[in-house]
Amino acid sequence: MLYRVIEASEIPALISAFMESHEVVAPVKKGDVYAFDVISSPDEVVLDYDTTIASPKKYFLPPAETLMTFDAQGNQLTDYTAEITPRVIFGAHACDINALNRLDVVYKDAPYADPYYIARRQATLIVGISCMPTETCFCHLWSSDEARFGYDLFLQDIGGKYLVSISSNDAANILESACNPREATDAERIEFRHATRRRQAAFNPEIPKIQEVAMLMDAFHDDPFWDELGGKCLSCTACSSVCPTCFCFDIRDVRDPDGTTGRRERVWDACTAPQFALVAGGHNFRSDPATRVRHRMYHKLNGFLATHDRMLCVGCGRCVKACKANINPIEVLKFFERKGAADAE
Amino acid sequence: MPNSCAVSTVRVRPFQESPERRSGAELMAANPYRPWPARITSITDLTEHEKLFEFRLVDDRIREAFHHAPGQFVELSIFGVGEAPISISSSPTKHGFIELCIRRAGKFTEALHKMQCGDIVGIRGPFGRGFPIDDMRGHDVLLVAGGLGIAPLRSLINNVHDERSDFGKVTIVYGSRTPSDVMFRNQFEMWKHRKDFELHLTVDYPDSTWDGEVGVVTKPFEHLEVDPGNTFGAVCGPPVMYRFVIEEMSKKGIAYDHIYCSFERHMKCGMGKCGHCQIGHQYVCIDGPVFNYWEAKNIQGSM
Ligand SMILES: Cc1cc2nc3c(=O)[nH]c(=O)nc-3n(C[C@H](O)[C@H](O)[C@H](O)COP(=O)(O)OP(=O)(O)OC[C@H]3O[C@@H](n4cnc5c(N)ncnc54)[C@H](O)[C@@H]3O)c2cc1C
Ligand code: SF4
Ligand code: SF4
Ligand code: FES
Repeated sequence: MLYRVIEASEIPALISAFMESHEVVAPVKKGDVYAFDVISSPDEVVLDYDTTIASPKKYFLPPAETLMTFDAQGNQLTDYTAEITPRVIFGAHACDINALNRLDVVYKDAPYADPYYIARRQATLIVGISCMPTETCFCHLWSSDEARFGYDLFLQDIGGKYLVSISSNDAANILESACNPREATDAERIEFRHATRRRQAAFNPEIPKIQEVAMLMDAFHDDPFWDELGGKCLSCTACSSVCPTCFCFDIRDVRDPDGTTGRRERVWDACTAPQFALVAGGHNFRSDPATRVRHRMYHKLNGFLATHDRMLCVGCGRCVKACKANINPIEVLKFFERKGAADAE
Repeated sequence: MPNSCAVSTVRVRPFQESPERRSGAELMAANPYRPWPARITSITDLTEHEKLFEFRLVDDRIREAFHHAPGQFVELSIFGVGEAPISISSSPTKHGFIELCIRRAGKFTEALHKMQCGDIVGIRGPFGRGFPIDDMRGHDVLLVAGGLGIAPLRSLINNVHDERSDFGKVTIVYGSRTPSDVMFRNQFEMWKHRKDFELHLTVDYPDSTWDGEVGVVTKPFEHLEVDPGNTFGAVCGPPVMYRFVIEEMSKKGIAYDHIYCSFERHMKCGMGKCGHCQIGHQYVCIDGPVFNYWEAKNIQGSM
């Protein structure tokens, strides 16, 4: 990978250069929180934000997306053009880039490649930015605190300047045109080491570090803990909405007011929603909140790993903040820690 | 600086066909959400609630590219109503037509039952992993269906029938609630007299017309003779049935990984994305719907 150094003062010029050819989405301040939004000036961008409320996944999998349009009379497709805006996500944290890489596994690289997702992914450039953990971050547990691929540029803050990893030609050209990227000095390389060490040391020590989570999930599948944890679930699906790696959806047909034409769209859905596993005849395979919560945690911390060799959680901590019932992976880790302590006694 | 006005959007036409004639497989892969028009070519009433529909894909490229294995399913589509996953009920040996056996169960299936020959629906697929028919060749097969489970199993039954000499002893057990619920009764009545099929039709509640067996679907197992080392079992039916039938098959000595069952779950996409069909770490739509019992036991929450 190519590395260059730019000054922090060059960032606005870089953003402006992207804005000439792309819609730029970046973290902006909204009240006392941060959110990804389309910007109209580089001044709006806050690069030392903590965590945005929602992840940037909506730019790849919109909450509601038309798949096709139809004429119900005669049961035929009608011509449909999806408008996809070339975008730059400027200032994505490593966890969100790693989350996108996981979506790639399902939507881009698995059999039945998804043409809608791929079109958006290809039209989007990702500029990552280094960060320091908040007290709800645990990306380091799933090795998601570093983005190894899946971005075009990654900006590592080394104090007043950035070490930039460059991984695409398009982004390299824009960087060249807007800034004066130069070779890193030894001192700068060493500062990168220090910055990484500082990040690694800054994680909340109260989040238990447990390696064998997937195995423990299997071993404690039938523990009453799941009723305790899941019994509190309000089925609000906030966890899945904010989660950068939750990708489930529903497909529905919506008719236009004329009653004959319409569109087939996919909308976000969530396995914590009560009717998610309901089949004809009224049988619901996960009829109570506890089994639904357990299922969600299993897919995150066990199932995806079994099939794709990585967790489907990147430890961004968004669900920790979003869930009113305090249901999140940290609670699962704490449960395993309690179990360990109890066994040791 | 003006932002979005300087940005030109990319226009993606998900259904635009490139000018050169693409193959059916390429067309299907280009957008796997796209249903392909299929014409209803025949409708047969089976019972009060079930009809057998025969379809023909309209585009010859798609029709030629459409190959299925017994146990696979399609997503059937009526625009404005929705889509439903339906098992393919015809044998792969029947080329050019797709048969689906459909129970009236709700909004979508209601709408379908109102359609007539010549009407157009949409079909995409086939999806999923079916029965391991090639592994089964050269062996005895014990095929057990309960209720609507006959729909997917019929594909396998008819395939075995059409390539009968490839298989050893063939035993079919089919249980229904009442005689009027028995589907494809004529076909099975005819097979009763054949020496190359051992057929057990059973109903829970007989009437005066019934001359078959009486009792739940496991009843015929009392007098079945099975060569356990050489037999593949296949089971399709309502979820409650699996445990009992599998237990009987195990008692006969058939190995767990030679007992295959087809699972039904809520499905939307049919291709491992929407998440609805998940059990444990498996996606029923792509990893299944057919699993052997060994695999099923290894999925948390499968039974
Ligand atoms: C692999 C597979 C094979 C199947 N094979 C057959 C078959 O051969 N014959 C047959 O009659 N039925 C079959 N079914 C069941 C059939 O899909 C449902 O009966 C049908 O989806 C009910 O839709 P509905 O709108 O009529 O019912 P409603 O209860 O009005 O609607 C149910 C809603 O849930 C959705 N849904 C998705 N998957 C299911 C599901 N599995 N069960 C119920 N609802 C579902 C429907 O699309 C609809 O939106 C199969 C299901 C699966 C998963
Ligand atoms: S786990 Fe929490 S956020 Fe998720 S649905 Fe339940 S209550 Fe809502
Ligand atoms: S499960 Fe929670 S912590 Fe993990 S990626 Fe999703 S929102 Fe972030
Ligand atoms: S039906 Fe969508 S993932 Fe299986």
